[in-house]
Amino acid sequence: MDFQAPTIDYAGLSPVIALTAGLCIVLLVGLFRTAPGFMPALTLSVLAITAGLCIWQWGENESLVEGALQLDELGLAAALIAIFAAAVATILSIREPSAQDAGQGAFGALLLGSVLGMVILAQAQNLLSFFIGLELLSIPLYVLCASAIRRERSLESGLKYLVIGSVGSATLLYGFALLYGATGSTEFGAIAQALGSGGLADDSLVLIGTAMICVGLAFKLSLAPFHQWTPDVYQGAPTPVTAFMAVATKAAAFVALVRLFQVALGPVADDWNTALAAIAVISIAVGNVGALGQDSVKRLLGYSGVAQAGYMLAGVVVATQTGVEALVFYLAAYCLMNLAIFVAVVVRERETDRGDDISAFEGIGRSRPWIAWPLTIGVLALAGLPGTSGFIAKLFLIEATVEADYTWLGVAIVIGTMVSLAYYLRILSAVWIKDEPAPAQPPLPAIAGGGPLARLDGLEEGSADVSCPKGSAGPLGAYRCALVVGAGVICAAATVAFGVYPDPLVDWATTAAESLAPTL
Amino acid sequence: MDMSWYLVLSALLFATGAVGVLIRRSPLVILLCLELMLNAGNLALITFSRTLGDEEGQVFALIVMVIAACEVVIGLGIIVAAYRRRIPLNVDELRALRG
Repeated sequence: MDFQAPTIDYAGLSPVIALTAGLCIVLLVGLFRTAPGFMPALTLSVLAITAGLCIWQWGENESLVEGALQLDELGLAAALIAIFAAAVATILSIREPSAQDAGQGAFGALLLGSVLGMVILAQAQNLLSFFIGLELLSIPLYVLCASAIRRERSLESGLKYLVIGSVGSATLLYGFALLYGATGSTEFGAIAQALGSGGLADDSLVLIGTAMICVGLAFKLSLAPFHQWTPDVYQGAPTPVTAFMAVATKAAAFVALVRLFQVALGPVADDWNTALAAIAVISIAVGNVGALGQDSVKRLLGYSGVAQAGYMLAGVVVATQTGVEALVFYLAAYCLMNLAIFVAVVVRERETDRGDDISAFEGIGRSRPWIAWPLTIGVLALAGLPGTSGFIAKLFLIEATVEADYTWLGVAIVIGTMVSLAYYLRILSAVWIKDEPAPAQPPLPAIAGGGPLARLDGLEEGSADVSCPKGSAGPLGAYRCALVVGAGVICAAATVAFGVYPDPLVDWATTAAESLAPTL
Repeated sequence: MDMSWYLVLSALLFATGAVGVLIRRSPLVILLCLELMLNAGNLALITFSRTLGDEEGQVFALIVMVIAACEVVIGLGIIVAAYRRRIPLNVDELRALRG
């Protein structure tokens, strides 16, 4: 049998190659004893190089490796969001107990592996590369969730995520098998051609396959009614991992969803858009109601993530270019505002012994303005208040739904947003209205710094205008603390900036959406 | 031989796996049932590949086997870590995270 090697465009593949090489380097260097802060710096530089290569390839539009991957702005946009989220998660993980347990090298390598999966998933143009990307994204995340191996909750969340994630993958795989059987190909273009030639829209294989693909992806995207794992896993996982998981997974999986449904399954859009619209409305309702009574901020963000995924799904349902544009804008805005909140959660988790409970945020408006303001801006943006990018993002989404005659979906988004104010404002009232509770005993130093020295430092510093976690005292202390708080401030500043002057981000989203246009 | 029987078998395997994940309590058995679900997908892929006379499905199935192995390794690793921490190996009792 003749075998022809595929032609490979190494320039187009360079982000994937850089991430793979960087992953191996980080993993191997992590085996040696290095100065503290070296491994995160190495991970960050790999991410920076990959981001640079993505920007270099921006504007290219071609098929890579015989149609396995599609290089276009849409995929690169998702890759850039994932890389940004991974960079913030790396900064948050410096001296984090979970990363210490796993070893900073292994932690960084797992994070890079997950980003690699996201880049592949966002560019996948073939069922096979789609599945590989999805698993490459998920499997390192299972380990990262369980990486605080001494904490029972972390292990529990890792196990739960593994079981539920794998059920989702298996369902998705079965759906792919049926779709392959019906159309005779695994390539998106060929599938669309087979489906478009008629006669297959009512085919039972296609219908069951599409339904199973919807279910499998809904598990991954934490859409209701397949969301039950989300709050548990968000709460149990180490906070930097939760931050990464919440924003980056959504970006990559939503872009992949758009590509799969609009390129491959586009010809049978009538089969799936009502189902997806129903899932979107259920997610909005379940997420917003579920978040109401939560005391743990990470759980609350988990439920809010379910609702936000419902909003974003509206951008896929409408199946127009405006919809994709609104979706990409929403993903970028969501990334910034969520990370701003998670920075505050990480800082307070180390400063107090109350973990991520809402009471840990009481009174920080006065004592910790540098954390309180990014948190406030992030929460207001999630609620969609004007002046933040969250408002613009919701505006675009609602515009897209109205334009495509899905006005009722737009109404669902508005009602969901109104309900969501109840729990978002609860966080803000804790931050700005309540007083900081007087500690019954001296506050425990965070686990991170460890040792009696850190405890002494923490007490001596007092709590007045120190915006750093006390446990961070050490050679890396001040530097690390500036990085963490700085990341939060940058995310919040960008949220406000894109809320006041959204044009650059709109242009970016439009370019990304247009790269899919020939197939719409 | 009619290929559709292979599909029926794969659908039964998938259903067995899904029911097993839902009703069994031991994480080890749940992992086994997950394998069953993935292998049901493999069987369907290979059947279709044979029917269509196209190799892509077989390549897909081979790669899925590798992925399934990865998942089991991670799952067993977490279970061993949980066992060492004396966490009960019964998913009904894993409820530190609730609310």
